[in-house]
Amino acid sequence: MTQTVATPPPTWQERGLKLLRDQGILIAFLLLVIALAFASDRFLTANNLLGVIRQVSILGTLALGVTFVVIGGNLDLSVGSMLSLTTVLVVDLHDKIGPGPAILITILVALVIGAINGGLVGYLRLNSVIVTLGMLSVLQGATLIYTGGKNVDIQNQDATWFAFFGRGQLFTIGDVNINVPVVLFLGLAVVLGIVLHKTGFGRKVFAVGGNPVAANYSGLRSSRIVLYTYMMSGFTVAIGAIILGSRVMGSQNNVGEGWELRVLAAVILGGTSLLGGSGSIFKTVIGVLIWGVIQNGLLLLGAPYYAQWIVTWIIMIVIVWLDLASRRGRLWAAT
Amino acid sequence: MMKRIALTVATALLSLAAAQTIGITQNNVGVDSYQTTYEQAFIEYAAELGVDTVVLDAGGDEARQIAQMQDLIQQEVDAIIIWPTNGQAVVPVVRQADQAGIPVVVTNSNIAEQGFDFIESFSGPDNITQGARSAEIMCDRLTERGLAETGVIVEIQGQPGYTTAIERSDGFQDRFVEVCPDVELLESQPGDWNREKSQRVMENFLVKYDTIHGVYSGDDNMGVGALNAAKDAGRADGITFVGATNFAVGYEAMERGEYWGSIYQSPVDDARNALDTALAILDGEDVPFLNYFDTPKITQDNQSEFTKPVF
Repeated sequence: MTQTVATPPPTWQERGLKLLRDQGILIAFLLLVIALAFASDRFLTANNLLGVIRQVSILGTLALGVTFVVIGGNLDLSVGSMLSLTTVLVVDLHDKIGPGPAILITILVALVIGAINGGLVGYLRLNSVIVTLGMLSVLQGATLIYTGGKNVDIQNQDATWFAFFGRGQLFTIGDVNINVPVVLFLGLAVVLGIVLHKTGFGRKVFAVGGNPVAANYSGLRSSRIVLYTYMMSGFTVAIGAIILGSRVMGSQNNVGEGWELRVLAAVILGGTSLLGGSGSIFKTVIGVLIWGVIQNGLLLLGAPYYAQWIVTWIIMIVIVWLDLASRRGRLWAAT
Repeated sequence: MMKRIALTVATALLSLAAAQTIGITQNNVGVDSYQTTYEQAFIEYAAELGVDTVVLDAGGDEARQIAQMQDLIQQEVDAIIIWPTNGQAVVPVVRQADQAGIPVVVTNSNIAEQGFDFIESFSGPDNITQGARSAEIMCDRLTERGLAETGVIVEIQGQPGYTTAIERSDGFQDRFVEVCPDVELLESQPGDWNREKSQRVMENFLVKYDTIHGVYSGDDNMGVGALNAAKDAGRADGITFVGATNFAVGYEAMERGEYWGSIYQSPVDDARNALDTALAILDGEDVPFLNYFDTPKITQDNQSEFTKPVF
């Protein structure tokens, strides 16, 4: 949208849309928070809000990595079953080889899986939906083969420093505990935000996702960039798995089932475009928080749990619509 | 010498007479420890009894289960045991088996009611009784704690839409108002059989309610998730945790004195009961249509009488 000096003063619709375009997601989030604060006196307490962030910290960690993939113009639908596999792996290996090596192997495995996804999408140029949807089944199968269908558990739950990641508390302000998952999620968001928005690599991700042809002509090695975005996604899944395994101190084989769509929903809620080339880590964090606030708020209100699916869908439609409306400068399509 | 030969011949004849083939198509063996243990127990028990079996697994796929049923009908096995992937979807193929003259036993989770005419028996746990027994465990414990008049509890249910989840919840709620009419059930929310999800649900309960005296969970896996949340919030001591389907993690938490009670449901008993039911039908015995196996109460008080679950 380029504006020349001669244009008449903006109409209410244009002004509103500009504000929405710039800060729409944040406004939606704040409105949601205010509405819930009126609806439930429990909602706006420090403990509850921190609880919300802690509850979304695993989802959020995964969403950070997926944001790279989506901005790079692709999808990663394998993160759910990758979470199952890596959580099972870190929990199972914990008692066998100790927490340190278990964590290292888990991260390595996730990076390798990310590299396979990224290699197939980046270098072979296969459709990312097909590649990662296939990987979703492959990893669920691998998990079941690995465990033989049995749940895995950590035996001495109170005697391991592994508990730090999911259950640890860093410090206490008043009666509010600052939990490690919250710090890990927000800390990782800051670091990855810098990587995406302040480094050459980050700019290349935007370039490759925004216009792959132009990126190629300008000499970017887009195959490699795509590979790295998937490895980033693998890495954040591993961190999520470590938090999850530590929090639950055990794992079911299907613990990550359906997470791929939840993660994607959070990324979209934040306003990162599925078309690639636009979005931000900050938006994803807000999207994740919106997801968490809906879930928590509806529960506090005593709504049936599955009402959140309906409410989330409605909010997602509104957000995607407003995003599109602000881009084209009008609420409705021209014809 | 003659005696030994006679004995051998007799045994051979007996085993010849008993050489029946029983086919089983299971729901989804790899997916959880219960089903995995069930399959192992089934195969072992069949070997012990000298029964030939065709053991199949539908992998959670209705279409595959229907195809497996048709295969078993083609093979003319003597009886079919089915663990339905979907209580509705398998009714037509169960009817085919019935028309082919092959008795069908449903195991673990029943098929839809319109299929009842085509099966000989249902072998499995009685989930309504399980829920009711959990209610009694909860009420007894709250009464011991002097909370029979003032207590408040919450419930974490299994996955909505699953018969097991619905029956346990109904059984619990119906019985609980009978035995502990003054204890209020504050809220019920689904935990989807998932420990992490249940942990989140419980965290929200803890924020929402300043006082919670008891948590009933549809299985121990979810119950341990709720326990984790309460421990994190430093509120586990004041809460009585009661579950169902005693898992190893629940059993261990009971040993640590953190978790109060559950329902002992053994996949080994489940598998044996299914095979026994099928064999009894083939022998022409009178078998009840709902042939439940017993799932007793287990609490910290009597857990030493039970071996730790393998799943």
